[in-house]
Amino acid sequence: MGYEALDFYDVDSLLTDEERMIRDVVRDWVDESVIPKIENACREGVFLDEWRQELGGMGILGAPLKGYGCPGLSYTAYGVICRELERGDSGIRSFASVQGSLAMYPIWDFGSEEQKEKYLPGMASGELIGCFGLTEPDYGSNPGDMVTKAEEDDDHYILNGAKMWITNGTIADLAVVWAKLDGVIRGFIVEKGDEGFSAPEMKGKHSLKASVTSELVFQDCKIPKDRILPGVKGLRGPFSCLNNARYGISWGAVGAAQSCFDSARSYAMSRIQFDHPIAAYQLVQNKLAWMLREITKAQLLAYHLGVKKDSGEWVPEHISLAKMNNVDIALEIARVARDIHGANGILDEYPVMRHMANLESVKTYEGTHDIHNLILGRHITGIQAFTREA
Amino acid sequence: MSVTIVSEPHEEGMHPTLPQLVRAASVIGESCTVIIPGGNGADEASKIQGVGKVIKLNGACFSVFDSSTWSTAISGLVDGTVLMATTPVGRELSASIAAGLGRSVVQDVTSIAPGIKVERPAYSGKAVESISVSGDAVITIRPNAIESAESGGSADVSTVDSGEDLRIAVLEAIAKAGERLDVSEADIIISGGRGLGDRSNFEKLESVADSLGAAVGASRAVVDEWGLPHSMQVGQTGKTVTPSLYIAVGISGAIQHLAGMRSSRYILAINKDPEAPIFGVADYGIVAQWEDALPILHEAIKSLP
Amino acid sequence: MKVAVLIKQVPDTTARISIAGGSVDEGSISKWTISPYDEYALEAALKLQSESGAKVVAITLGPQRSSKSLIDAAAVGADELIHVLYEGTSGSLSLQGALAAAVRKSEADIVLAGKQAADTNSGSTAPGVAQMLGLPCVGLVSEVKAVDGNFVATRSTSSGMERVSVNGPCVFAFDKGDEELRRPNVRGIMMAKKKPIESLSPADLGVSMEDGGVNVESVGYPPEKPAGQTFQGAASASEVVTKLREEANVI
Repeated sequence: MGYEALDFYDVDSLLTDEERMIRDVVRDWVDESVIPKIENACREGVFLDEWRQELGGMGILGAPLKGYGCPGLSYTAYGVICRELERGDSGIRSFASVQGSLAMYPIWDFGSEEQKEKYLPGMASGELIGCFGLTEPDYGSNPGDMVTKAEEDDDHYILNGAKMWITNGTIADLAVVWAKLDGVIRGFIVEKGDEGFSAPEMKGKHSLKASVTSELVFQDCKIPKDRILPGVKGLRGPFSCLNNARYGISWGAVGAAQSCFDSARSYAMSRIQFDHPIAAYQLVQNKLAWMLREITKAQLLAYHLGVKKDSGEWVPEHISLAKMNNVDIALEIARVARDIHGANGILDEYPVMRHMANLESVKTYEGTHDIHNLILGRHITGIQAFTREA
Repeated sequence: MSVTIVSEPHEEGMHPTLPQLVRAASVIGESCTVIIPGGNGADEASKIQGVGKVIKLNGACFSVFDSSTWSTAISGLVDGTVLMATTPVGRELSASIAAGLGRSVVQDVTSIAPGIKVERPAYSGKAVESISVSGDAVITIRPNAIESAESGGSADVSTVDSGEDLRIAVLEAIAKAGERLDVSEADIIISGGRGLGDRSNFEKLESVADSLGAAVGASRAVVDEWGLPHSMQVGQTGKTVTPSLYIAVGISGAIQHLAGMRSSRYILAINKDPEAPIFGVADYGIVAQWEDALPILHEAIKSLP
Repeated sequence: MKVAVLIKQVPDTTARISIAGGSVDEGSISKWTISPYDEYALEAALKLQSESGAKVVAITLGPQRSSKSLIDAAAVGADELIHVLYEGTSGSLSLQGALAAAVRKSEADIVLAGKQAADTNSGSTAPGVAQMLGLPCVGLVSEVKAVDGNFVATRSTSSGMERVSVNGPCVFAFDKGDEELRRPNVRGIMMAKKKPIESLSPADLGVSMEDGGVNVESVGYPPEKPAGQTFQGAASASEVVTKLREEANVI
């Protein structure tokens, strides 16, 4: 009984041949290298270094970026990659999202020629790991008020402040850090080993356990002048990164939901109660049919958003809708799948509880569910409701 | 219709499949000619009922398996339909003989009727093909799929010498590595569970596995508790396996274990608890203490012809 | 040196096989792949490519859909691709004849193939093609190396393994090898898209696809297994062994 990805409307037939080949490569990799190892990695709370190497070896990191050793794929292909990775585990997809969309992308779009040549080839091959520092302990949904700041000091910048909830932080070779220089948000590249920089790991997570989450601490951290990203000022910088990452999440959530559906369907077919498989009972069928319905809608949302990303005809609100909806239904599908599995659902024999716990994070990171609602609310009414001020 | 059987060389005399091939020949023809490359066991072969003639095919080339050379040596002696056994040698040699004679070959036949109509499994046993063969073909027959012909014949034995030269040279023999088959590629798996009582009892499963050419598997409970390699684990979080035969010893059959092996073609379960769920999926269930049943099972396997 | 690899596209071994109207319903097959033993042959060819500078030509015979297997082969490094386009079915003789003709056309020095395909489970192709090309055949091979103009292969035998040497062109039929199969990467996939496939009909190769006297009349499901049988007591084990041999035919 191999994994069978639910694709009720044959949405994948809309992909190109290359996109389907990439899908198969990533799906096979997840079967061979993630599924057999993920539960142990979660128990031990580690991201396996072989995953970094193999993701780099497949050439899928920084998927939609062109040049500098990057793959140059379509945004649709990037979405498919995220979906297949998250079918394995949200932590693996998070690694790829952060590496590609949050660390490589700002260097690729806003970096100097020298910065691109120095970092991007190694990041695409997985030799260098990147992370992204925007959120702070006291500034989550409200990054504009961040307190991390940079000051000029002769031929250096001096950074002070702290970032929190940073995926890949402790294992990263470089961090793209957003800090205020003269009151304006700018991007800086901080390298592992820079004076005054440390990245302690955050322990005790019940979610994304196979992913590294860290704090980034800057205490008079001294970096050379050529580490500033010259191409962007203000929140547009981090937000353009987040648009791409959130886009990937809208696909990734479909993968987690497909995994939960696959497990629930197969469990319901083989679990016998009252002399029949529980799949023969109407309440169970109702749950499975609802899962199929929501997954199919989510697939179509993700696919069409991919088409819009590739044609350039998109606005950030399109991404908010897909991220919010798809994570929301994936989380609910994981819960219903756990329910179908009964007590067995809480065991790590089945992926459902792990996906469920992961998706709680995914619902909150990269713009919380509620914030995306407010983005749509502002789009509909023209009135922002994030703050109490007009 | 003439039938020629090519009987695979065998160190201990006649190849054990020959009487089955003679029975198959009798279904489609009158009497048959048996060619024995290397000539071993010709006298035995001549005493099978239904054998018309035995040809000992001698030649230096039969010291090393070389299908193209052997088929050249054999093809000139063939008359009518050719039968062989579906063994590794039989598959390769039959295909070579067929191509050399300008015929098609049908491999791994499990039933044969006049006409000639045969059946053979395909898609690893998930389907059965019904095939009609017209004219002279080459057919290999699955060992033990057809009953053996009786003894009681008295065919003539003649000798033919072949001067064919080998095209393959053996540089060295390498002893069979002690490595065990992996459960994901084995055709027979014998698995143990908590009912075995102690990790050391897996040695007894290994000994049965050696007799069957099987892999040894385990349930998750014992992999976790007794520190067995995860590669042995069959089940939801281990390997999903579909062997021809899965033997479950002391495994109760938790749903997670069943998920990994219930698609096996045949399942044999040995368990002392008649209510164990494993019996719900077993084709053959033995309700007994495994300590008592396993030695008897092993002896019976070893004494199979 | 040029190495031909014969690859066949088959339903993935985990795919369900549905049968309708006396034949396998291909439309219901969820995934097609290169037959697993052929993948080991391809891997061995790619190793000859990297170690001895061989050119690798992948050859398949089958309907239009099977060109995907050639693109997959190109994605891991096959240099040339030949598709013998044939939509029908046939006996082994004409299939081998068409493949042998394609090998001749490719001007390959040696031929690698899987020991048997995962759909027919026959194992006739490699030795048959060898015979038609007048070449020796070595079966159940797990490794091939080019050594001073000879080819040295490791093959399994009934009693273990042996290393054998062949002087000159040969056909090698692969069992599962020790090598880990390489995985295509994105760069390989993008390059594979640009590699041309030489598509040839049997007529282009001058071969007829007459069935050679073998005709698959129908395909069906295997007979239903008998209902589960339970035996009491350890002594029944010997009876069960007899049934495993005679009823189930699995030992």
